Amino acid sequence: MKRRKIDVNILVGLLVAAAVVVGIVSVVKLDVAGNRGSGLGKEFTYDIAKLAHVDPNLIVYEESAEPISTGFTAAKAIAISAEGSVYVAGDGSVRKFAASGALLDEINLGQTPGCLAVAADGTIFVGLRDHVETYDAQGQPLSSWRSLGPGSILTSIAVSPEDVFVADAGNRLVFRCDRQGNVVAQIGAKDAARNAPGFVIPSGYFDLAVSADGLLRVVNPGKLRVDAYTFDGYFEFSWGHRSVEIDGFCGCCNPVNIAVLPDGGFVTCEKGLVRVKIYDSQGEFESVVASPAQLVRDGDVRVCDLPEECQAGGFDVAVDNTGRIFVLDTIKNVVRTFTRTKGR
Amino acid sequence: MSENSKPIGRRDLLKDGLRGGCLIGLGLVAGSAAHKNRKVDMVWQIDPYTCASCGNCATYCVLEDSAVKVVQLYEICAYCDFCPGYFEPEAELEPGAENELCPTGAITRKFIEEPYYEYTIDEALCIGCAKCVKGCAAFGNGSLFLQVRHDRCLNCNECAIAAACPSGAFKRVPADEPYLLKRADHS
Repeated sequence: MKRRKIDVNILVGLLVAAAVVVGIVSVVKLDVAGNRGSGLGKEFTYDIAKLAHVDPNLIVYEESAEPISTGFTAAKAIAISAEGSVYVAGDGSVRKFAASGALLDEINLGQTPGCLAVAADGTIFVGLRDHVETYDAQGQPLSSWRSLGPGSILTSIAVSPEDVFVADAGNRLVFRCDRQGNVVAQIGAKDAARNAPGFVIPSGYFDLAVSADGLLRVVNPGKLRVDAYTFDGYFEFSWGHRSVEIDGFCGCCNPVNIAVLPDGGFVTCEKGLVRVKIYDSQGEFESVVASPAQLVRDGDVRVCDLPEECQAGGFDVAVDNTGRIFVLDTIKNVVRTFTRTKGR
Repeated sequence: MSENSKPIGRRDLLKDGLRGGCLIGLGLVAGSAAHKNRKVDMVWQIDPYTCASCGNCATYCVLEDSAVKVVQLYEICAYCDFCPGYFEPEAELEPGAENELCPTGAITRKFIEEPYYEYTIDEALCIGCAKCVKGCAAFGNGSLFLQVRHDRCLNCNECAIAAACPSGAFKRVPADEPYLLKRADHS
């Protein structure tokens, strides 16, 4: 009987092909995210995805333009000028964009900025770790203010016609300065005479805004509310409460950022459950700009792995004269534009 | 002076110097190689920057009670009134099993001063499920994370948790630096 010889090349080819297939299957089936589970019971599972659901009827804004790519690896803050230019601070500079997303200008800082404001006259105020620098509308340096102290971590700037308010998360204080950078007053230290309860700042988020009613609104994140102060530092009232429900602020420390709408209402940003919401001028919940499903991949709750990522979960927000809302996504480093489409 | 003792010539001096230099160089190379190849004891540890908090540490360890425990880095912790690693996200602000996130009650909450509380891990109760790690990372500063505790770890050659770790967070580290802690400078 004649034996058939097997071609060695075919055999080797088959073995190589089998090895490649096994390799591909192994890689595809690799559970890199641990989704198959540990075998632990339901009580050991941390699942807050259901809390991320937002009633679609409450969402009255729509994303109205292509996201603006900032080009930063760590975008920090956003501001809108009176003529509608979008300023974003991040990495070591401030970039100026047209609303279309075109890059118009860049101011190199040499340090990482933490916060940003643009005055009605076009003056740009940039908060670095412990001091403020100012630039004219063309990006030329005007002044560099004195340090507010070695423990300072500047997180927000708001400008009124005569004053500049600087939020310092490191010292848990708001500094009221004149336009030359001289400190006129400190706001927010525990003070019974001014009825001031003090700020609780668990992380590097401490925002403020000047409202049309002549009061300063300061986020008190550890108390999950927004406080109203006179420019002289008298505490007036507060609004907001802790809740994962849509009308409240979730987790340990929210909201992370606020902005004032032309009608006197407020826009708030939360971390954890990344939600952007509208409250009226009295602090009553009104509607939703964007839910976690619109802002975060797959609508999942943001669970960070790196400390830097944990800190990057707080989106910043700014509003232009027409009421359009610009959300700075500090995870993807883009600016999203939202326009109201319902309820007006 | 004896007749045998000849004066050393310049050439001989150079030759001897060169030989001596070569010997010293050879010694340095050999010493350096020996230093590099010295046996360093290595132990298992979790890289907190890579850990996905999947829960496998609780179930894959060969020990009945896992050698992996949650640790608290107090420099990062904000001592929150409502700690998202301690309370269920929808809970009332009151301690009690129904409000606490940890299924084994391994976190204790102690009042420091209004409105700050200290959160401590009871390692005897912690099974390393990482539920609190996820809560702290999602809403808080990420001060809670998992580490292999070397007073418990058997340092198996083939660690069962490392083999099951989906994110490759298990690493061999030198025994004289056995912990991989998060940096405290971010906050």
